[in-house]
Amino acid sequence: MSAPVAAPAPRIRLRGLRKRYGPRVALAGVDLELEGPGIVGVVGPDGAGKTTLLRCLAGLLEVEADEANVLGVDLRGDVRALKARVGYVPQVFGLQRELSVAENLAFTARLHRLAAGKWRRRAAELLERTGLTAFSARPAGALSGGMKQKLAIANALLPEPDLLLLDEPTAGVDVLARGEIWELLEERRRAMLILLSTSYLDEAEACERLVYLDDGRVIAFGPPAELRASVKLDLYRAWADDPRATARAIRTLPFVSSARATGRFVRVEVARTDTPGVESVLAALRSLPDAPVEIAEPAPIDMESTLLALARRGPAEREAVR
Amino acid sequence: MADAIILARGLSKRFGEFTAVDAIDLEVERGVIFAFLGANGSGKSTTIRMLIGLLTPSAGTIVLDGIDVGLHPRRVRERIGYMGQKVSLYAGLTLRENVEFYAGLYGIEEGDLERRWGAVRERFGLAQAEHERPENLPAGVRQRAGLALSTLHAPRLLFLDEPTAGVDVESRGLFWELIQDASDEGVTVFVTTHFLEEADYCDRVAFIDAGRLIADSTPEGLRARYSSGYRIEAQLAAGSRERVLAELGRAGFAAEAQGDQLVVRVPALDSEGMRRLGLVLGPEAAASVRIEQASMNEVFRRLIREGVALAEPPAGAAA
Repeated sequence: MSAPVAAPAPRIRLRGLRKRYGPRVALAGVDLELEGPGIVGVVGPDGAGKTTLLRCLAGLLEVEADEANVLGVDLRGDVRALKARVGYVPQVFGLQRELSVAENLAFTARLHRLAAGKWRRRAAELLERTGLTAFSARPAGALSGGMKQKLAIANALLPEPDLLLLDEPTAGVDVLARGEIWELLEERRRAMLILLSTSYLDEAEACERLVYLDDGRVIAFGPPAELRASVKLDLYRAWADDPRATARAIRTLPFVSSARATGRFVRVEVARTDTPGVESVLAALRSLPDAPVEIAEPAPIDMESTLLALARRGPAEREAVR
Repeated sequence: MADAIILARGLSKRFGEFTAVDAIDLEVERGVIFAFLGANGSGKSTTIRMLIGLLTPSAGTIVLDGIDVGLHPRRVRERIGYMGQKVSLYAGLTLRENVEFYAGLYGIEEGDLERRWGAVRERFGLAQAEHERPENLPAGVRQRAGLALSTLHAPRLLFLDEPTAGVDVESRGLFWELIQDASDEGVTVFVTTHFLEEADYCDRVAFIDAGRLIADSTPEGLRARYSSGYRIEAQLAAGSRERVLAELGRAGFAAEAQGDQLVVRVPALDSEGMRRLGLVLGPEAAASVRIEQASMNEVFRRLIREGVALAEPPAGAAA
């Protein structure tokens, strides 16, 4: 008898993945190589192609590509073998609204031909973990927004897919329900490859790797820390009594690219190409006329500045290519 | 509060056996940005719908800009702007046609419309989108267009229900600059969001949980009550460390030396504290100052765990 062979790590290899909707180009040649497991964030501006990419990976769209391999299945051919191993949660609630919470799970179990003994235990556990046990008889359509999302994710997890694709799973979801959803994902980050799109900065930071899309292409790819380090910006915080007035004054400084009042301080971004040096920036911030800054400090680049810088880099790099 | 533009007392809404909103009091001062936060299903949307006169309360009174909403719901609507979670632009009509349609609803004269729309269009960066249909616009532009429409009749009070949901980080930033500008011009903004870091863009924050208000304060007030507050560190040359440490003590700060660093902890950083700290640390430490602040996500998680309903009207909470 041979020893059991460990399942190969879930794998995605895309080269030049293209998708058009009529005349509109949604994906303009995506190159991406991922080997799971782990949580990968798909980020980028509205209209960048995030939803289209996730739908392609789920085998839902016809695509053109030089290579498009997901879990060993070619996206350009018959993708039936892929669908059994992929969980996909779209942005718009996609479960049966008239069926109860429990019935939706039973329906999914039957679709995937899961053994009754196994799925019932797993379903009960998923409901428990998402706080939905008490609502299992309620029609899915009558759940609150956060509960609907938790149910959709529990439902996608029920068949234990190798690849889980979540399109903005926490949009409009409150902080506690977001925490519960992330706990579910964290527990599975060693067991499956999870790709999720998100607009939340703390969620992007919690991913192992980020794929930054803009205009249908991958502009940046790597761990959050690496992306932060690639940004050619310095961030400062100017603590002031009236941050909004101070922000207006700071915007008049020639080397400042942006200044926004945030609570007690002003977030100030300075491009490395324009900076007169840390000491000079701090001195200039502290000596603004009519807008006293009590404390000015250099701050580490955060996810907000990183994503903003990447959004600006997108168009610049396309210009350079032309 | 002398000049409250929103004044709600004992506001309740029951649907059959279920109490969605349970005797809440709200006072919103003119010109502030007021964040109204809460979990999904907490009673947030029900409260907003009562405030703008779309839903009749089971109990309680609402006075908006001096007008009783229960008695004169129509008169109130002329004074407020509302933008919902789904932006109410008509698909099939271009943005310009939407503008004309809304102007007609609000009785804005043609000459007046050109002037107002011209100003709003420039400010909100909508010139390129003017002849597009909303369904062809990116989400961020569509949200800005929705905000532009809700302000076309120059309301003194704006209700924005999750205006930044599903909008990318760049558009969210721009959106908040527009909201802050409106507030600086005296418009009162009542806004909801699930991006809790946005609470820091607001002057006041109320939190509703299971139909009851459990917090009504400033962002700093919440941070002081529901987080470990601030940790401020500064690197100082050995020669001046002892002197600055002593000065910090005299200025009332809990400070200690850790290696070549001084570490100060404060529950909140009010204007006076900020000024004193800036003075003591002075220019010599400036480049090495690091201020760590609890995130709003952290604050709200703790608030929800520990929060108890406010027993009394939040007297002085806006101070």
